[in-house]
Amino acid sequence: MPSRTLYGIPVSAGIAIGKAYCLNRNHFSGMARQTLGQEDVPREMERLGRAFEAALLDLERILSLVPEDLKEHAAIIESHLMMLRDHKFRKRALDHIENTRINAEWALERAVGDLQEVFAAIADEYLRQRMQDVRLVAERVLGKLVGGEGGLNAITHRAILLAHDLSPADTIELDVNKIMAFATAQGGKTSHAGILARSLQIPAVVGVEGLGDDLAEGNIIILDGFHGRIILEPDEDELARYTDLQAQFESYQATIMRSCQLPAETIDGYRMQVLANIELFEEVVAVNDNGGEGIGLYRSEYSYMSHGGMPTEDELTEIYMDMASLVAPKKLVIRTLDVGADKLMRMQVPSEPNPALGLRAIRYCLKHRDVFRTQLRAILKASVLGNVSIMFPMISGLQELVEVKKFYREVQREMHAEGICFREDMPMGIMIEVPSAVITADFLAREVDFFSIGTNDLIQYSLGIDRTNKDVSYLYQPLHPAIVRSIKWVVDSAHRAGIEVCLCGELAADPFCIPVLMGMQVDSISLGPHAIPGIKRIVRQASMEECSALLKQVMTSQSVARNNKLVREMIFRRFPEELMFYSSLVDE
Amino acid sequence: MDDVQERTIRVGNSLGLHARPAGKISQEAQRYAASISVHSGGMEADAKSILDLLSLAAPQGTELRLRAQGPDAAEAISSLTKMFEDMFGEDR
Repeated sequence: MPSRTLYGIPVSAGIAIGKAYCLNRNHFSGMARQTLGQEDVPREMERLGRAFEAALLDLERILSLVPEDLKEHAAIIESHLMMLRDHKFRKRALDHIENTRINAEWALERAVGDLQEVFAAIADEYLRQRMQDVRLVAERVLGKLVGGEGGLNAITHRAILLAHDLSPADTIELDVNKIMAFATAQGGKTSHAGILARSLQIPAVVGVEGLGDDLAEGNIIILDGFHGRIILEPDEDELARYTDLQAQFESYQATIMRSCQLPAETIDGYRMQVLANIELFEEVVAVNDNGGEGIGLYRSEYSYMSHGGMPTEDELTEIYMDMASLVAPKKLVIRTLDVGADKLMRMQVPSEPNPALGLRAIRYCLKHRDVFRTQLRAILKASVLGNVSIMFPMISGLQELVEVKKFYREVQREMHAEGICFREDMPMGIMIEVPSAVITADFLAREVDFFSIGTNDLIQYSLGIDRTNKDVSYLYQPLHPAIVRSIKWVVDSAHRAGIEVCLCGELAADPFCIPVLMGMQVDSISLGPHAIPGIKRIVRQASMEECSALLKQVMTSQSVARNNKLVREMIFRRFPEELMFYSSLVDE
Repeated sequence: MDDVQERTIRVGNSLGLHARPAGKISQEAQRYAASISVHSGGMEADAKSILDLLSLAAPQGTELRLRAQGPDAAEAISSLTKMFEDMFGEDR
């Protein structure tokens, strides 16, 4: 029998071969409808009521288990608790049993369906998405109705977890001793489940198309976290091939981990700093374990997005202080709020026709000075710890930067007047990610202490493509001559002004692009913690001489295809293992 | 005799009536015996239901009518009004 393969987005590297375990097997799509006799109605209503109570108890228990450093999860779980306690929701489900004599499972689905209709009519995307929370809550109740099976606690042997979606509550319960890998039907590259998988270091694939309920539980399957594949019913050849690959990866992993705490220095003595991009507290451990030399990009959005409301100055200060002390003595670069109006203001504005070009990041902050002030004050307060730097995203030109600096000084003066301590010489930098900032990089360089090139946005804006759009994503070409020239110009402008330049974004974690960046003498790179050991290994085995030679060829090339060929040849010749274990932005 | 109380308030916090304020309102409302509703445009929501409140999708600036009926209606209205006035502890 031929094997069947499902495809998704790889979010955490590795291979797992094991028995499938389907979470929430009784997802609504497979629910049977039953009509009850009138005499069964009271009992069925009672059954549903008990399921609600049992689900409540479960969630309360999980909430009490949430560790201190995962406070963000607690807020989401609390809102789930409130939904579970929502008397109107419960009554609606009970009414369906009473009025139409249907079974509890079906009644619950009907109640969810009713709400779905109401929510679908809401224009605001954030609120519409709360429907997802209602579903997760209802699934818990459903789990209780069908006898408490299908939950994470029911897993008795090591297995590959297959789920429709993993809620924050689920992820708290994940037991790495039992879960060897997981795949979900929902989720994207940046979903929380992916971050978690990487920090637990288990392979994971999300957004898997066709990951339905028809998967035979208990069958041996293969999960390929390098390429985003789930192979159902693998044949012997595939099993042998993947077992081999798994062994090779483990030994490769062991090799790179052994040297990950060593400095990223080429064989001819060129030193590059390797920093990490993070979003959550729990990632700091991974940064240290993987040899990260500091945090080059701390995304500060999470504290705004997670608990629904605007965090207060005290809340932010506490978060930044905690983070800075955790990271010390290494450095922590905090990037100020980098979200679009579409995400943050939610229902306040009619959705923008073109959010990527709209009121986002620094533009939003300049328009909403109260929000900006709160964050600046919190960062300034945390600066007393000595290892904090501040970085402004999406600067598009000198005038905007001057405006930002003016406000920044104003906030500093206010704090000074209030007698609040802060470090006046906290390093201040900007993200270079808009083409206009690239072109005027020489002007901007005189105004700041460092640059950080955000390649994801830079590529998108420079090449004019939205890479989540399947029809144009083939144009997402990191080694396009325009991109290579842009980065080179920014690096040179920074160095001429005597400031350092960091490069963050996926490019920094792409083994194929690293030699080119090294050739440009980028001072530091910042990448996902788990990509650090592999990248450090390349840096440590490469020489500046060969990287400069490669860059020279790339700089004179007029075509992407030729650039891709040049770097592939070098990687093939010098780092054959990376070819096997990494997917690259550079296509064949 | 059941007391009926009404008051018009305005959503002041910049994020509007999103998950956290809705949760706070429903929790507070549940403390009272009175039945409490929130009216916006032609819509009516049960103030004790977080999902109902969310479905109002009320952004900043929306005018809402609070209505309570029951023995403690007056206390309920004044306490909920205060929550709106404090903007749920946001925007400080």
